[in-house]
Amino acid sequence: MDESKKLGFPSILATGVGLIVATSCLLSLGQGAGALGTGFIVSMVMACIINILSALCMAELNAVMPNLTGGLAQYTLAGMGPFVTIVTMVGGYLLCQTIAGSVECAMFGNTINSAFSTGLPSSFFCILLLAALIIVNLLGVDMFAKIQDVVVYDLVISLVLMGLIGILGLAFFLFIGCEFVIPLSPNARNARRNIPLGMVISLVLICGMQVLVIFGMHHYTKWADLAVSASPHVLYGTALLGKAGTIWMVLVSVFAVVSTVNSCINFLSSMCAGMAKLSLLPGVFCRKNKRGAYYVGILMIGGIMIFVNATGLSNSSSLSFMILVAMVFWMISYIVQDINVLIFRKQFPRMPRTFRVPGGPIIPILAIIGNAFMIFHIDGDPAVRNSIFRIDGICFIILALYAVLWCRLVLKRPLFKHYEMKDVMAMENDLYLLAHKQTKRKEDA
Amino acid sequence: MEFSKIEVITSLKRLGSLKSALGKVGVHGITVVQAIGCGVQNGTQEYEPELNDEMELLPKQIVIVLVENSKVDEVVDVIKKELFTGHIGDGKIFITPISNVIRVRTGEEGEDALK
Repeated sequence: MDESKKLGFPSILATGVGLIVATSCLLSLGQGAGALGTGFIVSMVMACIINILSALCMAELNAVMPNLTGGLAQYTLAGMGPFVTIVTMVGGYLLCQTIAGSVECAMFGNTINSAFSTGLPSSFFCILLLAALIIVNLLGVDMFAKIQDVVVYDLVISLVLMGLIGILGLAFFLFIGCEFVIPLSPNARNARRNIPLGMVISLVLICGMQVLVIFGMHHYTKWADLAVSASPHVLYGTALLGKAGTIWMVLVSVFAVVSTVNSCINFLSSMCAGMAKLSLLPGVFCRKNKRGAYYVGILMIGGIMIFVNATGLSNSSSLSFMILVAMVFWMISYIVQDINVLIFRKQFPRMPRTFRVPGGPIIPILAIIGNAFMIFHIDGDPAVRNSIFRIDGICFIILALYAVLWCRLVLKRPLFKHYEMKDVMAMENDLYLLAHKQTKRKEDA
Repeated sequence: MEFSKIEVITSLKRLGSLKSALGKVGVHGITVVQAIGCGVQNGTQEYEPELNDEMELLPKQIVIVLVENSKVDEVVDVIKKELFTGHIGDGKIFITPISNVIRVRTGEEGEDALK
């Protein structure tokens, strides 16, 4: 069995790092450091610790329900029922990733144009890159791992070297995404050790790397300049090494965008397939091409990102604000996962867990408090905070409406009644939907 | 010293990893018997919507190990973690007391017969 697994620990670590480090992280890093100086490191370390707590909780969930393609959706369905699953997964991931992916691409276009003044619209570069990544993802998981490894290790080495030579909501954004390694479990070697280890080491690695970059920025640029720059990493690179630094930072941006958007397309297509298996999305998302890639999800996610960039919806003037709006939903879905750990401990106290978060309920509770604290301190300005909560509130109402209709009309199940865990595990089988459809047809006939 | 027999009925997969995990906790003897059988689901596949009316016997294996009573908890914990997938068919573990063990070749009894 194990020999057929494709992804080793370096690839899992690369996925974790790839999703966490994004070009838009560099914007957050530059702007956060610009606003708070080296004090931003305290926010970063705090956000990193809270994310490690959540990562440990998700690792335990992966031990309770191993090798699931949908990951967080399946845990929530077994823990809290379909309503919470739909709202947190569609809001926390599909919506957030569309925003984050679009921001990421916009940042990429901005970086290229701020460095080279090409005269071409920024969206041109984004669309070109997105098209390439869609093709790569359609070619299957092997290609995905190869690209991810090359890109991420180059990125890490670049950032560490740059660091050596040279506000809480934003700090949180620096560390999100380690859970994206969970859907890789079925393809991972020694998943029970490598998945939790990959998540935690990704976070620690990135925290160390970004602290180095902040110290580097501290020596070579003024905080005020960083705070107002749309491409603070390019500013830093130029101040550090002149034209060579500019080119280096552009390369870092390319690495970051490629790794993030690549991981994002791969994760979301797997997640859509997982949700389709749970009947929370149409069954078409389960379709695979000859190379085993969930092509419907890949094309849809990639297509939406291309559309958003082509229409200019991801305007650079509101990048930070958009990131923060998305982050609130993301943090809520982290809180939901932390609660799931406590629910499963209560429901299945004697289940053999290959990984159990130490310290009883303390770590999940600390993770819940930490994430809630970050939500309420998403921005230092109360007016900005309120408008973030207002937009998130509107999104929540729309999603809640969709979730109620889907539960009533399609699933025909109570909103908050959790599914039996064995049923959720059975839904993972590719034949589940087929067998249930055939039975339903027989009953109807 | 007292002994227990641990019998594990499980699917045909994962024998390799189970064997290796048992070796790591000091289990040196193992007997594996191929069998057919079913549990409370009457052999229904987990993706099927309705339970089988009649028992359908599926290929299984019975893994038998003999350990000192002091090691039973540790060994059972390893077996549970090794076989756990969360899916129907992970298996069942039966533990029974053993009054004596005799090695036929030498006539040794008890703990000596297990070394």
